[in-house]
Amino acid sequence: MAELTLPRPRRLRWLRPGARGTVVAATVLVVAVVVCLAVPVLWPLDQSAVALDQVGLPPSWAHPGGTDDLGRDVLHRSIYGLRVSLLVGVIAAVTATLVGGLLGGVAGLLGGWPDRILMRVVDTVAALPHLLLGIFIVAMLRPSLGAVILSIGLTHWLSTARIVRSELLSLRTRPFIDAAISGGASRARVLTRHLLPHVLPKIALATTLMVPHAVWHETSLSFLGLGLPPHLASLGNMINDGQRSLLTGAWWASIVPGLAVIVVTLAIAALSARWRDHLDPRVRAELDL
Amino acid sequence: MSLTASGIHAGYRGRRVLHDVSLTIERGETVGLRGPSGTGKSTLVRVLALLHPPDSGHVTLDEQRIRGHGHRVPASVRTRIGVLFQSPRAAADPRLSLSDLIAEPLRAVRHPREQITGRVTDLAERAGLTPDLLDRRPHAVSDGQLQRACLARALAHDPDYLLCDEATTMLDASTQAHVAAMITDQQQHTGMGVLVVSHDPALLTRWTDRIEDLNTETAR
Amino acid sequence: MTLLNIDGLSVRFRLRDATVQAVSDHTFAVRRGELLAIVGESGCGKSVLAHALFGLLPRNAEVSGRAILDGVDLIGCGEKRLAREIRGRRLGLVPQSPATALTPVRTGRRLLAETLRAHQRDPALADSLAEQVGLDAAALGKYPFELSGGMAQRLVTALALAPDPALLIADEPTTGLDRPLVDHTLDLLRRRCDSGGTVLLITHDLAAAERVADTVAVMYASRIVEHRPAADVFTAPAHPYTCALLNALPDRAFQPIAGHPPMLTALPAGCAFAPRCTHADGACATLPAGPPVACHHPLVTEAAA
Repeated sequence: MAELTLPRPRRLRWLRPGARGTVVAATVLVVAVVVCLAVPVLWPLDQSAVALDQVGLPPSWAHPGGTDDLGRDVLHRSIYGLRVSLLVGVIAAVTATLVGGLLGGVAGLLGGWPDRILMRVVDTVAALPHLLLGIFIVAMLRPSLGAVILSIGLTHWLSTARIVRSELLSLRTRPFIDAAISGGASRARVLTRHLLPHVLPKIALATTLMVPHAVWHETSLSFLGLGLPPHLASLGNMINDGQRSLLTGAWWASIVPGLAVIVVTLAIAALSARWRDHLDPRVRAELDL
Repeated sequence: MSLTASGIHAGYRGRRVLHDVSLTIERGETVGLRGPSGTGKSTLVRVLALLHPPDSGHVTLDEQRIRGHGHRVPASVRTRIGVLFQSPRAAADPRLSLSDLIAEPLRAVRHPREQITGRVTDLAERAGLTPDLLDRRPHAVSDGQLQRACLARALAHDPDYLLCDEATTMLDASTQAHVAAMITDQQQHTGMGVLVVSHDPALLTRWTDRIEDLNTETAR
Repeated sequence: MTLLNIDGLSVRFRLRDATVQAVSDHTFAVRRGELLAIVGESGCGKSVLAHALFGLLPRNAEVSGRAILDGVDLIGCGEKRLAREIRGRRLGLVPQSPATALTPVRTGRRLLAETLRAHQRDPALADSLAEQVGLDAAALGKYPFELSGGMAQRLVTALALAPDPALLIADEPTTGLDRPLVDHTLDLLRRRCDSGGTVLLITHDLAAAERVADTVAVMYASRIVEHRPAADVFTAPAHPYTCALLNALPDRAFQPIAGHPPMLTALPAGCAFAPRCTHADGACATLPAGPPVACHHPLVTEAAA
């Protein structure tokens, strides 16, 4: 339909009212973020407090998520855990993007031997199992938020580097770049005005797609006892602790934090997928016309 | 005063498409270039536009031998040669409105800002682009309208030479005639030299002063 | 003997803030053995017409009217029937960009043989079909990405011909080809018609239409403004738009038409060409009747009668 003359699309057309899934995902995410921000203010949690007179209570009005084997409120701690997970997920995804964007950018802009060397490095790192590599990095450092973020950031930059590099390499051969050079644009101008604006949305998309992945990763590390210190509420720690209760029939101690991970990461993934469709001109043609 | 390619050998990654090709475009004249597809017409245009390095041979711009290509050539030299590409879609940054597209070369060389608006209005008017079209982005205009904007952009610096690489092949007859008329008009004012690459004999006969063949004997 | 009968066909796309009127009220017939060229500038809606016949429009397209091919209404018969009985069988398509229309993992010969087999025809016909389009045996053994643009064009043409479709639609089949290949492709379409086939050629290239078409339909801003025998259209155009378009050819006056075509989202109530027309007057504010010539002031009067 390329030959039709169309009016300019409105901003945020991708979020059209008909897209019910998008609305549900956005609502879930907004509620999760608001709850994560509000609960510590309205209902602060003493991370190390235990209540041995309330051990293993099933969900009730007083404890909607039940209590765990140390009598701690599961829902309350899950919200705190979600806070940590989202924080770690976002910062780690941004870290990974910065590393990947920088390396992919250098490779794609310079081409030639820097490109070949960097891409061999990418291949080498990609050949190692990244959870194992992440565990190795965390194990070398003291268990802390920073160690977890570093571990995820340093193992997840590969895809971003590849995306940025291949985007830049293909953009560089496009006639509109030739036209810009011919029109007198300097190297810096070609980069900032013509190359980056095309790559940045894709980088931003790669970042959001990585957030749920990073959240899962943090949860996995904590579950394996390599993430945050065990007394701190993190979704991974809670699922790990919940295993013990599971044997006594207290399913809620691991199901509630587990659901929190699944629902929130699915919501983020659904929104990023919708955004990706919006960026893809072939799909956009379907949606718009 | 001429733009000259002498003994050009060129290609991509070891695949040579131009073999000892020479071509001269004098100021004020219109040269037609024809040849079957795959003979490297586009490569020759990119070499002449200083966008592609020849493996051997060289380009001379008004008796000055050019060294290097792309950004290694000073902007003041590059901008003396305008290029009009075959596909306006591929040659237009999809994010820019038509007026930004036309203004881009002027902004790139830090043309005084207060003069840019006037210059864009003038170029757009000559290209037959109405003000409502100038606010639109490429996807909201037709190929013909977009190519007119690309021509306005190519003429923004009043180049001494203009290279048209199959620039009207995808256009309807009316737009083709309009593009040719605008180029001829500019030529009468500034005396620029024009290269028209095409495989339409009727177009070359009508538009150009002489026709050169790029055939398989010179391009292997 | 009529093969395709189009009656009141309109296509529009509803966008949130506008409606694109891409095809307006087309009524015409294509005879068996006829080569009808639909010419018009880019953005006039001619490709949408082809897509509508194939049932390949996006979901927000609204199609009304009928297009009856051999007794089957292409518009109303439903996707299932189109896919099973029509597309690729009775209706063949030569697409615009051959390079992207070919599966890269099979050689030309295998592609052709597979297509022939799928339509219960002898796969051994592949070589004679290839010869018909001017593709030699060596080229047929290559993978699509190894073929030049011209060779790929011949291959997609052979593929479209493999099921021996009653109607072949060629959508800008010559874009990006050089002159000898353009001529070759056009002559191929012509020979198809001479041996009883029927072709709908969609192009912006007037010279191409002049070379091979029996009849020409000139499309402007979603409407067919003139639909007459090719010889008449090119020697004595009746619609001022046709006349102006022909005058823009390099071997005629090489004179552009002033102004721009209207946007398909904001078509005037009357004649869409009137704002650019030197013959326009008050009468042009109403929609002219036609075809054969949709004009209040046709340049050749007997044609409009």
